[in-house]
Amino acid sequence: MSGRRVAAITRRILQQFRRDRRTLGLLFGAPLIILGLLGYLLRGGGAVPAMGVVNLDDGPLGAAIASQLEQSKTASASGMSRAAAEAKLRSGELAGYVLLPSDFSSRAQQSRVISPEVHLEGSQPGLSQTILQAVSESFAALAGQAGGVRFAPQVTFLYGGQTFDTLDYFGAAFIGLVVFFLVFVITIVAFLRERGQGTLERLMASPLRRGEIVLGYMLGFTVLALVQAVEVLAFCLLVLHVHNAGNVGLIFVLEALMAIAAVNLGIFLSMFARTEFQAVQFIPLVILPQVLLSGIIFPISTEPGPLTVLSRVLPLTYAVEGMRNIMIKGADISWPSLQLDFGVVLGFCLLVILASAATLRRRIA
Amino acid sequence: MAAQPYAVEVDGVVKRFGSLRALDGATLRIRRGEVYGLLGPNGAGKTTLIRALVGLVIPDGGTVTVLGRRAPNLDVLARVGYMTQQAALYPDLSAEENVAFFAAINGAHEGVREALEFVELWDRRGSVVSSLSGGMRTRCSLACALAHKPDLLLLDEPTVGVDPLLRVQLWNRFQRMAHDGTSILVSSHVMDEAERCDRLGLIRFGRLLAEGTVAELKGQAGVDRLEDAFLKLAEAGGK
Repeated sequence: MSGRRVAAITRRILQQFRRDRRTLGLLFGAPLIILGLLGYLLRGGGAVPAMGVVNLDDGPLGAAIASQLEQSKTASASGMSRAAAEAKLRSGELAGYVLLPSDFSSRAQQSRVISPEVHLEGSQPGLSQTILQAVSESFAALAGQAGGVRFAPQVTFLYGGQTFDTLDYFGAAFIGLVVFFLVFVITIVAFLRERGQGTLERLMASPLRRGEIVLGYMLGFTVLALVQAVEVLAFCLLVLHVHNAGNVGLIFVLEALMAIAAVNLGIFLSMFARTEFQAVQFIPLVILPQVLLSGIIFPISTEPGPLTVLSRVLPLTYAVEGMRNIMIKGADISWPSLQLDFGVVLGFCLLVILASAATLRRRIA
Repeated sequence: MAAQPYAVEVDGVVKRFGSLRALDGATLRIRRGEVYGLLGPNGAGKTTLIRALVGLVIPDGGTVTVLGRRAPNLDVLARVGYMTQQAALYPDLSAEENVAFFAAINGAHEGVREALEFVELWDRRGSVVSSLSGGMRTRCSLACALAHKPDLLLLDEPTVGVDPLLRVQLWNRFQRMAHDGTSILVSSHVMDEAERCDRLGLIRFGRLLAEGTVAELKGQAGVDRLEDAFLKLAEAGGK
């Protein structure tokens, strides 16, 4: 083995990177951006989930627990009527509410068991856990005053439930994400190959219109993407048995819209890359922040304020929400929240179709 | 249409890329049914001029008329065949699939077999392009440019990297096509190929230095060899 030959290869690699500023930027800039984003998400002092307290108790214990909850730093609790709490739970404003019935104090004295009703919205496991933790902390704070009393909350879920596992919650979001991600990568690389091998120049010198190229590409890749979407959906529902309370057709339509958006995003972003190597660099920049901010892992309602705004403009957020609306909540198209999700994803589709058609000639000329 | 004597008319075309003037008032005429050789060194503006004819380059000044219509014109492009310098083909498709695709986007439903037979690739029609030799790819690329039977064929340095035997075969084919009425523009920097053209245009620094038959150019420069004529005219035009 020759040290000089090895050194020649090492030197050549470093020389190549010295001239490729974009790759250097990705190598040293992207980790800071992604980790910084993660740090801000987790330590940025985001909002705590909102919960309601419905205190119907005639005795003193209810008032004491309600007071403890309202001072809680784990959740943001406020007193309200049962009807208001139920309405806010359904609209998604509350992650849950605690109901302290009229005989709450007397039952606690007789049976030595404190069992408040905890009603959870349930579509986001992280939020449900936080609400249960807040309730449990309020009890623990009172435990000293009511010695020997057992705490046994009666938990009910509006959506999901005790039988739901992590896959049921994340599966819905991942069905859309997997299709979006893979279709995006395949399209951007395929389109760059078309440029690299010179065939795009030939297409542009033919009577083909820009719109025809984009539409042809879109249909070709969409056929593949739809087959993939069917495969992913069937695997999740039939093999993994991911919970689904909604219409399979609606899930498929949302998946298909995401696939079409991914195809056109791939064509559009391929305009900004010269090589397949540069195209691959878009993956962490396009996909990772969306995964962190679209509510797949961290609920948007608990993000620090500025990130909430950012999440609300990311199309993947609405796709994830839509998938969860359908699969976990059983939403149909009459639900305004699902109409919003579909509307945003559809709007994004149209936007990237127009963008890819408009910029197609740029690099060619 | 038959009244139009010229397949291509380029008048004072200017194209700048930043501070570089790739075309600097280029003017030329290509008659119908002739093989026109665009001759010039690397970087002279040959490819830019051809790209302007198919609308891939929009000139900053001057006019380009192709088959009687101002370029770029999508309807006219269906009657133009363009063979790029690089054999631009889909490597995962067979030779026949490539030719059929380019015929289809130019609106032709037949002519694939004829084109592949013309370039003597019909026997290899099922071969995937990535498995073909360099020369075969060049021939396949030519078949893609002519399957839709264009009235004007633009060939950007079609014989670069091609062995002498194949080069002779290709030139015989170009001349046969011109005889059948196709106008052909061939760019090249190889002088011995130029002798086969009906007329030549000598291009340098984005300008046509001289235009005419081989004999006319030699006479104009007062020399016996085309190479010497080019050097003399280039020297005179470059000043």
